[in-house]
Amino acid sequence: MPDPYNLFSSRPEPLITRDKVFGITERILVDGTVDVPLDPESVRSAIEGIRVVGGEAVVIALLHAYRNPEHERWAAEIFRKDAEDIDVILASDVWPVIREYERTVTAAVAGYVQPRVSYYLGSLQDALRNAGAGCEAMITKSNGGVMTAELGKKDCAQILLSGTASGVIGAASIARQVGAGAAMSLDIGGTSADVAIIESGVPRYGVGEMIGEFPIYIPTVSVTSIGEGGGSIAWIDELGVLKVGPVSAGSDPGPACYGRGGNNPTITDALVVLGFLGRAALGYSAVAMRPDLAWAEIGRIGDRLSMTPEDAAESIIRIAISGMYLEVSKLVSRHGVDPRELSLIAFGGAGPMLACWLARELAMKEVIVPQVPGVLSAFGGLIADVKNDFIQTVYLDLEEKTVDAMRDSFGMLARRAMKWIRDEQGFDDTVAMFPSADMRYRGQSFEIDTPLEALWIEEGDVKAMAAAFHKLHEQVYEHSDPAAEVQVINLRMVITGKPPKPAFAPLPESDGALLPRETVSVFLDGSINDAFVLARSDMKASHSFDGPAIVTQDDCTTCILDGFKAEVDGFGNLIIRPGDV
Amino acid sequence: MMTIDKVTLEILKNHCRAAAESMAYTLYRTAHSTFVKETEDFTTGLTTPQGETFATPVELGATWFVGLNYQTVISMIGSYDEGDICMTNDPYSGHVCTHSPDMHVWKPVFHEDEIVCFVVGHIHNTDVGGAVPASISRTLSEVHQEGIRIPPSKVVRAGVFNQELIDVMLTNVRMPEQNWGDLKAQIAAMNTGERRVHEMIGKFGIEIFKAGITELLDYAEAQARAIVASLPDGEYFFADYMDEDAPDGYPCRLALTLRIKCEEVELDFTGTDPQIESSINMPTGGQERHALLMVGLIYVLYSLDTSLFLNSGVCRVARSVLPKGTVVNPHFPAAVGLRTLSVQRLMGLIFGAFVQAAPARLPSCPASGGPIMNVNTIENRTGRRVVAAIGPITGGAGGNPFGDGSDGSGGNSGFLKNTPVEINEAEVPMKVLRYGLTPDSGGPGKYRGGLAIQMRFQAQAPNTRVTARNRDWTVFNAWGVLGGRPGGNSSFILNPDGNRERDLGNIDFLSIGPGEIIQVASGGAGGWGDPLERDPDLVVLDVARGFVSAESAEWDYGLVLANGTFDPTATQKRRAELAATRSKEERFFDFGPNRTAFEDLWNYRNYAALTELLMLTPVHWRFFVKHRIFEAVEALGEEARQDGSDVRTAHARILDEFPQLRIAMST
Repeated sequence: MPDPYNLFSSRPEPLITRDKVFGITERILVDGTVDVPLDPESVRSAIEGIRVVGGEAVVIALLHAYRNPEHERWAAEIFRKDAEDIDVILASDVWPVIREYERTVTAAVAGYVQPRVSYYLGSLQDALRNAGAGCEAMITKSNGGVMTAELGKKDCAQILLSGTASGVIGAASIARQVGAGAAMSLDIGGTSADVAIIESGVPRYGVGEMIGEFPIYIPTVSVTSIGEGGGSIAWIDELGVLKVGPVSAGSDPGPACYGRGGNNPTITDALVVLGFLGRAALGYSAVAMRPDLAWAEIGRIGDRLSMTPEDAAESIIRIAISGMYLEVSKLVSRHGVDPRELSLIAFGGAGPMLACWLARELAMKEVIVPQVPGVLSAFGGLIADVKNDFIQTVYLDLEEKTVDAMRDSFGMLARRAMKWIRDEQGFDDTVAMFPSADMRYRGQSFEIDTPLEALWIEEGDVKAMAAAFHKLHEQVYEHSDPAAEVQVINLRMVITGKPPKPAFAPLPESDGALLPRETVSVFLDGSINDAFVLARSDMKASHSFDGPAIVTQDDCTTCILDGFKAEVDGFGNLIIRPGDV
Repeated sequence: MMTIDKVTLEILKNHCRAAAESMAYTLYRTAHSTFVKETEDFTTGLTTPQGETFATPVELGATWFVGLNYQTVISMIGSYDEGDICMTNDPYSGHVCTHSPDMHVWKPVFHEDEIVCFVVGHIHNTDVGGAVPASISRTLSEVHQEGIRIPPSKVVRAGVFNQELIDVMLTNVRMPEQNWGDLKAQIAAMNTGERRVHEMIGKFGIEIFKAGITELLDYAEAQARAIVASLPDGEYFFADYMDEDAPDGYPCRLALTLRIKCEEVELDFTGTDPQIESSINMPTGGQERHALLMVGLIYVLYSLDTSLFLNSGVCRVARSVLPKGTVVNPHFPAAVGLRTLSVQRLMGLIFGAFVQAAPARLPSCPASGGPIMNVNTIENRTGRRVVAAIGPITGGAGGNPFGDGSDGSGGNSGFLKNTPVEINEAEVPMKVLRYGLTPDSGGPGKYRGGLAIQMRFQAQAPNTRVTARNRDWTVFNAWGVLGGRPGGNSSFILNPDGNRERDLGNIDFLSIGPGEIIQVASGGAGGWGDPLERDPDLVVLDVARGFVSAESAEWDYGLVLANGTFDPTATQKRRAELAATRSKEERFFDFGPNRTAFEDLWNYRNYAALTELLMLTPVHWRFFVKHRIFEAVEALGEEARQDGSDVRTAHARILDEFPQLRIAMST
């Protein structure tokens, strides 16, 4: 339940409501054997039922089909013969893994979006062909990779969370560029603030990530929402306490200062009052700023708090940041990460605006603002690998007598992976494969995806596999139990192919001091300070300057607080560190 | 003491919650036992030096301990040094712990030789020894059977483990490595909390921190007061029953008079049954704001306004009256292990009192009576014994003024997680024949009660032992309000539809053989408002979805179905007919036929007489006397009067029969 203390809490209405669910006669047992053969007549009556409710597509999800998909395929065959016009999605195709709810809900979400996504991608392909684009369109995936748009038309489940994922992929490449050991991406737009943890340049993956109100269970770059972004609205509760969010003005009407009819004070408006925003147009001149409207709204809330507009604005930022602090704090505790060792990679329209405050609240090591923070997600898509995940549920005890079965399954996964990348993707360069296994101690209800070495599988080295699991368990949970029995629930194979990457020319070294475009007053920590306004386009490698400062560029504004020092590296990244280290 | 500005308070609030959540995540991540991982039956928190909880996690952990006050156990330790960590799992030492599997720990946080707060928490251990595995059974009657009890003691003294105490504990439990692993996780959580408090003091300064934590309590209190003030003043009586006070016994009644006056509430439990000879007593120690009493109140206040900051300041609006020797204030050494069952009923009791004060703002009764199921059997292929929890069997939320109750789970059981069928079949030699919603189990209403979950499975090996903990309400029902009807009963049936079918009633343990089938279902939730006023389209949808049968649609909702929709004229007529056949008497609650029949005899006056006489009776006689009075009055059948006189006569006869009772009463 979303809110366990609330007696009114409820789950969302299912995408496929019960009147559109049709049972058929069949049963496969846990070991994959057939208990009750499929009754084709029951499939035909389901087809009739689907006709009555006007279904365009059907999701077929049967018990234990991850182990034996025979009945799902047989039923699909009947659909193809008797109801050719109904699209068929098999849960065992979408993600063939044990846990019927998880598998089915993922397939249902995929089925729900399929007709439209397929249409959009088709139109995109046509448009590109007409425009004379000489290459095949690729589409980003939730796992941080890419695949052909052609395949995306039928494998929609893979692209559902690709937007946030490609931002993290972009951030991860920045992390590798600057050699950050542990990093956190911070993507703030008008309506959401998202973070992800990146270790040694590799993002964390998760299952059960949410799309709207529904979880999907295919491998996805793990992204956590920590707030509502620059449009979050400030308000005062009945006891006179100032709050920020969760209601957001979004990007339309957006903050008051956009002058599009927004009449609530937002985080962005507070930044205008503090003097950090509002001097130049935002977003490639798409939004002309109206500071007067921001002052009016913030002033109004200040009056109710008996505060000057500046104090009210700073209070709004501090409260918003403390809310983000709370969410990030939970995330790092869940993963056992020390925030003091993290580099914060800020992007999205509002990420660089707020990153310094958040880094200060969490005592983070540094903030990194890439050269084009507004379009880092697109950059992430451009550099992503061709990548796919394959899984098979095996549910074996990890012991000598099961290694042959594991080796066979891995062999099968590898063949499917090669077929995917060569035949379906037409990728003929070198590829890499990464086998792993979801393992757990007997009695546990959750697994750890444990990377394995190909050699261990080849030689059937059970000891090495178990040792890898114990070690990882120790890392994640701070204890392990080498004497306990280990189960292998799923085997996984990830295949990647690296397409040629765009090369970026290094930023030239500075040949002189960086001159501020102007000096302005900003209100910070209760008093007025002078701050330099610097243009990103003036910056060369090795330039450095002290906060408070404002860096402007077409796609965003970076706020640098008092006590921070900023430096430009050879790739054009802005590295902002607390001054005392 | 200084006061701090409200902006700083809001920021401090987020930092305090972050500290509590970090402790919870640390504990959850490092806990050893699967039980903790699956049930999330643990909590963490921060308390003032006096023991009032000012911050708790809301995303992780049990929902029952927001109002916990550690004051009693804190003061039972003479003095504290930096680095001390204390623990107790004794339900009768200070009543912070409420059953023996819950190990509570607390650690003082020092700033310059002064204790500025405590970091606290508990974990439900899978087993703490005693008469039965897992330490809990309805059949136990004394707390001594419920495992080893550690009175408040230092498990870490100034940073050094008290190995003797740990050895005594681990020697007495069935799975020592799990208890040890979980204790280490608790200690890690305490240390995380302590570090976070020091960081806060560094950031905000000690004076602001000290003032801030009391103001956070004041803030939650002020919010709670505003919510209570929005309710009409008045006195609201409510009673509810567990089916049995013993196997095949009589109903066990909880009674509450709720008095709302301005911004405060009084919860008077006078009229509640005497403590009983099984482990469903609730050890509150008579504390007027005991956490177990506050759970239901916190659900109500939070549901009325979800911006309420959850800490024990909320509880300051309430005080309770708890008659001694009753199930809500039992005397040592009554067993308390299964208080989960009675606390559920206690929450429903509080919901029932409050809904009378605000029927347009609160839901009807959530589903109840479903068990936590465990199976213990042998895997045929390997000969290995399998002991596994196969999931909670839950029901939905009550219908409410704004819509239907959620189906399957919700209300006050929304935090429980179920287990996939495929995982159950992979882990346990069993075949699941059905897992789904029970049609017609949701109480009809303008807004329908949530449906119950039903599971049907077949055993695959001889001597398969099935435990169904917390079962109740095969007799009584979740009540509906304002014309809403009660939810369906819970059920536990062996070999349904077969020739060896057996209704298992409220039994919670049995052995079955290969091929035998168990069908278990929770009760459903109550409906809200008159079902004849339900939007006909919603009824049609409910029928199409299999939630409501055609019969129920016609006779409960007055809907005449036709061709996949409804016939408006016939429906109007049928609804008018049904309305005309109803009794003129408008009842606020619909309790269902069994309770109505029970209360025809055991009405308010008879029960008042019974309560009055039992309160004059020594605690160790009460259960016996209650049973004898019930026997005598029920033997009168139709002749029994409803003015309390038969109860008094029966009591007088018992006194004549047992002169020992007179002696006991006079001392």
